[in-house]
Amino acid sequence: MQRRKTIKTVIVYTVLIWWTLMLAAPIYWLVITAFKGPASINRGATYLPFVDFQPEFSAWDYIFISQRDKVIPPFVNSVVISLGSAALAVVIGSMAGYGLARYSYRIGRMGNDSIALSFLSQRMFPAAVLIIPFLLMYRDLGLLDTRQGLLLAYTAFAIPFVVWVMRDFFRGLPVEVEECALLDGCSRFGVLWRIALPLAAPGLVAVFVLTMIGAWNEYLFALVLSFSESVTVPLFLQVQTSVLRGTEWWNMAAIALLAVIPVVVAGLALERYITRGLTFGAVK
Amino acid sequence: MVALEKPSAPTQARTAAARQPGFSLPEVFWKWALLLPATLVVGALLIFPIGFTLVMSFTDWHMFRHGEPVAFVGFEQWQRLLTDQFVWQTLRNTMVFVLGVLPLEYAVGLIVALALNNCTHGKKFFRITFLMPLMISPVAVSLVIGRMIFHEDIGPLNDILVRVGVQPVHWLTDAKLAMLTLIIIDVWTATSFMILMLMAGLQSLPQEPYEAAVVDGASEWQRFQYITLPLLAPVTVTALLIRGLDAFKVVDIIKVVTGGGPGQATESVTLAVYDLGVKGGDLAYGAVGAYSLLIMMMLFTVLVLTFTRQMVRGVS
Repeated sequence: MQRRKTIKTVIVYTVLIWWTLMLAAPIYWLVITAFKGPASINRGATYLPFVDFQPEFSAWDYIFISQRDKVIPPFVNSVVISLGSAALAVVIGSMAGYGLARYSYRIGRMGNDSIALSFLSQRMFPAAVLIIPFLLMYRDLGLLDTRQGLLLAYTAFAIPFVVWVMRDFFRGLPVEVEECALLDGCSRFGVLWRIALPLAAPGLVAVFVLTMIGAWNEYLFALVLSFSESVTVPLFLQVQTSVLRGTEWWNMAAIALLAVIPVVVAGLALERYITRGLTFGAVK
Repeated sequence: MVALEKPSAPTQARTAAARQPGFSLPEVFWKWALLLPATLVVGALLIFPIGFTLVMSFTDWHMFRHGEPVAFVGFEQWQRLLTDQFVWQTLRNTMVFVLGVLPLEYAVGLIVALALNNCTHGKKFFRITFLMPLMISPVAVSLVIGRMIFHEDIGPLNDILVRVGVQPVHWLTDAKLAMLTLIIIDVWTATSFMILMLMAGLQSLPQEPYEAAVVDGASEWQRFQYITLPLLAPVTVTALLIRGLDAFKVVDIIKVVTGGGPGQATESVTLAVYDLGVKGGDLAYGAVGAYSLLIMMMLFTVLVLTFTRQMVRGVS
């Protein structure tokens, strides 16, 4: 019995460590590549700093000093667009989520559940059916290649998810507290602002972080709707592979590292909320 | 569900009395004001474009042909699809990608989730580590794995192969291997989702069947085969469906790593819609491509749900 247990433990940790190494390898490669120089990359694969290559900082010099004016704007765009769209989507989406949790609606033959489901079903549609009308609409509205345009698009994509999650969340909150506040003369807005939202804070954090990460990493719409002014980080990264002089792997790696760090830090710090948000509604 | 809409009569009286006149808006205002913004945004930016694309697929709309009015041409664009090898190949490529990705991600996800569920020390560390790929930009991952690690000349993978005496492999320029490379990248990024779902499923399993099985002397493997696996069926179906529908939409990995090549061996439908409609300006035919992807996704959903219904029902 004891031997069996030992074998089981060995298998369990072999699997866990194997997958950890699989996940860590590309990250390791990304980090060391960001500190390699042109010479040590084009010579062939090198693995250990100080052993088979000398760390250099040419990529960081490129980003922060020599090409700063080229590298910083995409990051500013991405920060503005991802934070802005996440905030907007959380406000609009949780309003609808709260409404669907507390009132009963009837639109045609649709009740609350059908309305919530018809929001959610928008997530199923592939982006392919959206890009062409977006291109035409944005061209006519003058929103092509603007931050506002991308911000608005990402807000729209995030709202169905926010509505779905926040509706479930608000339904889980006790309705009695809100009734009491209404009785004591608090307005509906006051109830929402002072009671429901603070109680729903964990859910709000989860959907905010998830929609922010989604917008930060989005690629296809950025590709279709922006050319120069509103280029975001993923698009800027991809463009690095097609520079005329050949790909500057060290610069690309450093930019990729900067693109990855903020969301990973935010994600890891709020891991508990994210796990909850991602599996919400799927497992009951 | 408790609706606040119709409080009892005494409650209504008290509420009305307590409210300051002029500051309170009627409940029916709040009811609709809360729902309206989301409905407007989703209606204008999701539902309208989805319908618009369908209408476009019956026209001859072309972006670079100014002056001429756009005309309805019925099913002409859809007929083009029948004889167009290019779009069919992208549909086939997308299918291959989905069918390659799903079993791999499910298998790895299940193995890792089971290990994680039986892990006694460092559970939190592993759980957080396994969540990480979901946050990293797919473009960054594709660049690092697809363009750097699988690089045929200066990448570490071929370097290691050469060192152990194997021929270097054409990860990106060989048509079949290029698809495999893309599948591997997707497994790296998306298996985390499977782990997350299956872990949530494993944690919500009831304990009683296991206790009964131990009393009956069932082995560890038997318990997995006859209790865990069937009880996980509902979560499995949900996870495969969500992940499958997501995999059909693949575009960024492909655009970054192979650009659809070599030839058109790895071009997905979404990438084809971009190339035909956005870059090529053939808006109407791009719309046809987009809707053929949607039709394929619907078929997939129906198939998954029919084939798994019995499997799920058998449990409950």
